[in-house]
Amino acid sequence: MLHTKIVNSKDSKLSILEAENFVSSSKFGASIFFTGTVRNQNNNQSVTGITYDSHDELVKKSFEDIYNEADQKLNINDKAVFIEHAKGYLSLGEISIIIAVACKHREEAYILSRYIIEEIKKRSPIWKKEHYDNNESSWLKGNPILYEKN
Amino acid sequence: MKVKIELFGASRDFSDKNSLDFEVGNNSTIKDIREKLNDYLDRKFEGNENYKKIVNSSAFCSADNNIISDNYKITNNEKIAIIPPIGGG
Repeated sequence: MLHTKIVNSKDSKLSILEAENFVSSSKFGASIFFTGTVRNQNNNQSVTGITYDSHDELVKKSFEDIYNEADQKLNINDKAVFIEHAKGYLSLGEISIIIAVACKHREEAYILSRYIIEEIKKRSPIWKKEHYDNNESSWLKGNPILYEKN
Repeated sequence: MKVKIELFGASRDFSDKNSLDFEVGNNSTIKDIREKLNDYLDRKFEGNENYKKIVNSSAFCSADNNIISDNYKITNNEKIAIIPPIGGG
């Protein structure tokens, strides 16, 4: 069971409550809720906010691929996964990503949660533009996207 | 042939618009698109090396949302997205 969404910050905010509602089930005994938030420092600069950009369709496709791979690579078949990522401008402390997973047991829930965020970092086309207290801003360098070559 | 390059991430600094339009020859590939983009950056931004680094380290994505190789052949009026190095989360 998978839910994915790119949420434009102009329209709404990411909600842990929605994530909890989606993954909660008496089938599962373990849930992990991961959030990424905007922090106030990076590379010795004072950050005031971040603008997120996203290739929405490719991001959603990458989320689905990562979810499906968990069956084969991690052998975690019975699971609920909720992934939402923000796009647009976020202030300090606001949530940029929620990954909620529910599994039968805690061991697989921890493994799955960590696997999803690490793969998103490598494979989901999302970009950050940091804004600083001197009114300047800068796109973060990032890493070339990893993908399966045809 | 006409091709539209949709801009994302750091490549958005290449233009005030969301995309760039180029005329390319028949049988052009992604490799040719990189050259077109670098020519454009030479003209518009005096060959800004940081911008050129972005082009040379980017992947490209087809309209059906597949990452495509440098040998991928462009068709007329195709829409291609440039995918600069990523870093979400």
